[in-house]
Amino acid sequence: MENIAWGLQMTVLGMGLVFALLALLWLLLTLVLKLDKEPEVEVSAQEATLEAERIAAIADDAVGAQTPERPTVNGMPADLVAAILVATHKHRKTMRRQAAPLVRIAWPGSQIFASRWLATGRARQNNNWQPRGK
Amino acid sequence: MIDQETIGLLLKGVNGVTWQSLVMIGISFVLFYLAIAKDYEPLLLLPIGAGCLLANLPLSPLVASDGMLKVLYDMGVGNEMFPLLIFIGIGALTDFGPLLENPKFVLLGAAGQFGIFLTLLLALLLGFTTNEAASIGIIGAIDGPTSIYVSGILAPHMLGPITVAAYSYMSLVPIIMPPVVYFLTTKQERAIRMPYSSRKISRRTRILFPIIVIALVGTLVPFATPLIGMLMLGNLMKESGVVERLTKASSNEIANAVTLFLGLAIGSTMVGTDFLKPSTLFILVLGLLAFGLDCAAGVLFAKVLNWITGGKVNPIIGAAGISAFPMAARVCQRIAQEEDFENFLLMHAMGANAAGQVASVVAGGVVLALMGAGG
Repeated sequence: MENIAWGLQMTVLGMGLVFALLALLWLLLTLVLKLDKEPEVEVSAQEATLEAERIAAIADDAVGAQTPERPTVNGMPADLVAAILVATHKHRKTMRRQAAPLVRIAWPGSQIFASRWLATGRARQNNNWQPRGK
Repeated sequence: MIDQETIGLLLKGVNGVTWQSLVMIGISFVLFYLAIAKDYEPLLLLPIGAGCLLANLPLSPLVASDGMLKVLYDMGVGNEMFPLLIFIGIGALTDFGPLLENPKFVLLGAAGQFGIFLTLLLALLLGFTTNEAASIGIIGAIDGPTSIYVSGILAPHMLGPITVAAYSYMSLVPIIMPPVVYFLTTKQERAIRMPYSSRKISRRTRILFPIIVIALVGTLVPFATPLIGMLMLGNLMKESGVVERLTKASSNEIANAVTLFLGLAIGSTMVGTDFLKPSTLFILVLGLLAFGLDCAAGVLFAKVLNWITGGKVNPIIGAAGISAFPMAARVCQRIAQEEDFENFLLMHAMGANAAGQVASVVAGGVVLALMGAGG
């Protein structure tokens, strides 16, 4: 029980001290920034994120800050390559579907058009299986 | 002739195998697996695994009184030099710009240290001594060098499990943090967009920052001077721009060499007879809890800030008030973008994350000061 009381005391004192110290640091930093008189300008979130990414990339080299390396394909992130592949494939399929009415020579089921399957079958039927000259 | 004595000598190694050493060799394999196959902090977990394996081989001369691993331990872990040298490298690689742009976020870093003290209480409830409880609590700083430094002073016999826990949980930030954030925030809160205003931080301010932090923290919490002093020395070298070679050396060559030595020395403390105790399991569980509590306290504090500012602070960034820089900030950004793909929080989260780095060192110093150790 004595230990718990000591622990509670540690918690209150410890957190109080940490907060007090960092609040003091906040005040000092605000003061320094006021003296610095650098103007504050609005920036877009994307710009700020790019800058943050640059800072994070440097810190990634620190021990204990490592993130597992993501797989790449010719220097590009593998998931991005996969996404591009899926998108182009889908685009190609869509284009084919949209272009079909214009480029097909005969409507599906038409008697004047024979599919490759049908054409091959007809060709096989016309071929004599017996050796020539006999 | 081969006599009984020669055969005895030949079989000395095999006879020296114990079940504890076999289990520890198994644990070293797990560490190798995590480092090599899973990419979890490989720079540290691989040398730690190697140290653990080498120390647990039967009759290992490496952990004898003049063995290499023992010498490495005495050279840099016993006297706390290695974690401090690593801190110079970390300081040289850290840009505190995001924190300087938003100094109020320093309070989020303070809130992110709550887990240290709550875990200390839980450890006391489980019957650990005051020194041991404080060492376990410091895992909540989510800062490897700070954990090693503080536990090396307060409870050197628990250094192995504490270091493994600290570094393992650091690499598990993307797994541990999101459930805590989702549990404590609503969809609307996670979708809050925070405005950006950029302030050019002059070179003078960037140079003044480490000096102010050293002077302030060193004066008010002298026990934190070694930690904060080395972290800020690295940052001062970087920001001054006049000692490029020293900056590069401390963040590359020195940090790499020290990391190898530190990992081997820590691994060598993981000897079966000392490591395989129920207390090790408690340390691992309490460390995990400390991490969760840190994130929770940060998020709750950010919610208070959000309420005070009238809905201008996204509570997610509170979870970044820990020391795992910049991984914690990146995880916050990912969580925010899962709700709203066009929500960019990274810079704000980096500010809280940089604050967490300073705050964890301050918290380590405060713990040492309250324990009356480390001077």
